[in-house]
Parts: sequence; structure tokens; C-alpha cells
Amino acid sequence: MPRTKGYPEALEKKLADTRLYEDERHPEFTKTVEKLSMSIPHMCYQCGTCTASCPSAPRSSYRIRKFVRRALLGLEDEALTDPDLWLCTTCYSCTDRCPRDIAPTDVIMAMRNLAFKRDIIPVNFLKTVQAIYTTGHGVPNNDVNRAARKKLGMNPEPPTTHAFPQYVKGIQKIIDYYELKKNADRIVKEREG
Amino acid sequence: MREYAFFLGCIAPNRYPGAESASYKTAEKLGIKLLDLEGASCCPAPGAFGSISLEIWYAMAARNLCLAEQMKKDIALICNGCYKSIWEVNHKLKQHKELKEKVNEVLKTIDMEFKGTIDVWHLAELFYDPEIVGVQKIRDSVKVSLEGTRIAVHYGCHLMKPRKERHFGTTEHPTWLEEMVGALGAEPVEYRNKMLCCGAGGGVRGYDLVHSLDITNEKMINLKEARVDALTEVCPFCQLQFDRGQIEIEEKFGVKYNLPVLHYCELLGLAQGMSPQELALDLHGISCEPFLQKVL
Repeated sequence: MPRTKGYPEALEKKLADTRLYEDERHPEFTKTVEKLSMSIPHMCYQCGTCTASCPSAPRSSYRIRKFVRRALLGLEDEALTDPDLWLCTTCYSCTDRCPRDIAPTDVIMAMRNLAFKRDIIPVNFLKTVQAIYTTGHGVPNNDVNRAARKKLGMNPEPPTTHAFPQYVKGIQKIIDYYELKKNADRIVKEREG
Repeated sequence: MREYAFFLGCIAPNRYPGAESASYKTAEKLGIKLLDLEGASCCPAPGAFGSISLEIWYAMAARNLCLAEQMKKDIALICNGCYKSIWEVNHKLKQHKELKEKVNEVLKTIDMEFKGTIDVWHLAELFYDPEIVGVQKIRDSVKVSLEGTRIAVHYGCHLMKPRKERHFGTTEHPTWLEEMVGALGAEPVEYRNKMLCCGAGGGVRGYDLVHSLDITNEKMINLKEARVDALTEVCPFCQLQFDRGQIEIEEKFGVKYNLPVLHYCELLGLAQGMSPQELALDLHGISCEPFLQKVL
């Protein structure tokens, strides 16, 4: 199946040029990623064990080794604007096999957090937040399931925030503390109108 | 009887209630009582939520942990994704004082405090632990042997990986779940690349469904080669990806597998004499009939 990456034009152009320009490097990016990920991407010697272990690599242009390299060199824009950043299934195979004791999975998670701060985030992630904000669940109950639960002799609503919705308020307070719902709503509206 | 606060998560109670119901019943027969953890929420989803902000993920998971601390019970759960959030956040907050203080600052606004007084367990590891249940006790609880069936195991990722942070030993070729399948009378079957991810995690299922299904399809090809009657797992999200995923794979790729997918608790329930109705197996996307006909 032919698949396109949908890169922004500027990024496409930049990726075609493989030279490294000093002014594109942000050393503080390396430090921030290391702090957030509690890992040590600067130790990477680019052996490629991570990419070889990656379930996403054989079916896309996603290369985890490349992202660790970008972390090491401080190539912030290149890392955060690459749509492949979101193809990691977080299976941790690379982390278990890395001979340098780096956790590439956590490096990706840190980069995703930094991307979100720049509003770079696929909408489906935000929709999970919206669902949790409203119901407490990322995958909420539905009528088919309620009927099935009843048939099993169970309460149609599980004893979570579903049966005890008074707890949803606490969840909303936590999410609002970080203004996450506000930002999620804004970004979803910008993308989907 | 040991008591645990039962953390349900989302997909078991809201999509596969049979797995939830089977957990209470099978555990009780093995000397474990699962208590309701009132007001628990989504763990929250480590891939989807953690990708946005690990800081908020910590705080949200800590709220769930506080509910169990208030009950003074350890948490038991049946989902690898929940294990990643609940076990890992508990572990990290206990280890890093600075992190704990930050989280408690937020929890203060809802009159809660993370103290670090409980532990978190996957029900499958409690079942396997000889000091709590053990394989022999599982074997003794079997009423309807699953003899004559070939069953493959999917371990999933977030229970045992990353290996260095967890306590399960090898993640390259584990066999403890196979032992638990063997205890039910079934033949545990090895297949190529069994530790491969189901493809759903990290928000990829929502971000790029075809990509995620392509990973699932690779697993399905390997499972088909091994000629298994059913696949068992310990994670409702993997279950959703394999079960409903097979329908989506048929739509997108035009291949049909019809492989029944059962949570280990559902499988154990069958072996302990629960009926398919009691397990709500009719809610599964892929019919379990061919497998049931071999068993019942």
C-alpha cells in the first residue's frame, strides 16, 4: 500500500539535505529531553539495535535511532515536527535491548511532551483527554455494554467514576490545574472547526 | 482470603464485562477477594495521556492510588496498560521525593495525598506466585479441562517491559503464562516472534489505524502458522486490538482469521466451569464457538 508521510514542505526540503548546520542545534533541547525522560540519549553510539527491534520500523519511515540522534545533537525542530514521532507503540523492546542502557521509548515520550507544548499533537490524543475529563474514562460505557452487564447480574455502571460520578470533579480539578482541557479544546477546535 | 482493591480500568468494564466478572469469580475460587475501588477512573492511558504530559499522567494515576491507600489495600488489576500507569507511577513516586512533592501539591487541591503505602499487582502475577496462588492451585481448581486445545499466549508489553524496572525476568522468551495455560489442560503453543507488540499502544491505534493493524496482522499470520485454537492475553486493550482488530483487518486488508481471543481470566473461568453466557463471550467481535465446541 503506498503511504505518504504528509511532511510539511519546509521539513521535506530540510530532510533531503543531510548536512548538519550548527545553528540548528539547541543543546538545551538535549538537556530537557534527558531530564524529562530520565534517560541518557547522549550515550548513544548509533548501533541501531533499537530500530531493529521496533515493530513500527518495518512498516513506515519511523526510525527510533534517528530520533535518539536528534536528541543527542539537539535538533529540536527536526525531531518535534516529524509526524513519525507519533508512530511509537511504546512497546519498550528497544529499551530492553539497548546496549548503552538508554530508554529510547522514554526519549520519544519526552519529545512528545515537548511537541505538545508547541501545539504539535495528533487530535486523537486530545480526544482521550476530553473523554476522561467528561466521564473519568478514556473508553466510556455504552448501551450495548450496559445491557450485557445487566445480563451478567452486574451493575450496568461499573463501580468507577461511572457509578460514582461525584469523583469526576476531582479529576477535572487536576486536569484544569494544568489547563489541559482548555488547551485540548482550543487545539481540537482549530483543527476541526 | 487475601483482599485487594480491584482497579478496573476502562476496556474490561466498558467493553468486555465478562473479563471483569470472570476476574472476581476465578480469583475468589483461588483465595483472592477483589474489592470495588469506588471512584477509580481511567489509569490514565499511558500512551495517549502520557504523550501529552507525563506530569499530569503522574497526578491522575496518583489519584487512583490514593483511593486504594484510603482503603488500606494493595491494588490488583487485569490490564497491562493500567499496570504501566498504576504500578509505574506508584514505583516512581515512591523512589523520587521531588516528583512525589510535585504531585502532592496538585492532589492537595482535591484533599488527597500520595503516601506510598500500598503495592500494585497484576492479577496474573498473583495467580502465578506460589506464595499467593501458584500453578498447582490453578490446576486443582479446574472443573472442565481444556484438553485437546492448542492455545497461544500474548504477553503484551507494559506488564514486563522495561525489564530493568520490573521484576519478571526475561522479556525475550518468558514461559510463565504458558505454564498457567498448561495448568488448565490446554496445550500452550509457541509461535514466531511471540513477544511482538499487538500494535495498539502509544496512541498509534488512534493516530494511524492501518499502521497499527499491520502490526496486529503480522501477529495473526504467525498465529495462523502455529495452528492455534485460541489466543489468550492478560490485557483488555491487546484483546480489543486482536478481537475487534480482526474485523478491521478484514475490512482493510481483506484477510480473515476468525481466531478467538480470550483474556486469561475468561479462559480460567471456562476451565473452572463458568458458562460462555456468564462470561459474555457473545460480546466478542470474533465468535468463540469453534473453540467452545472443542472444550464443552
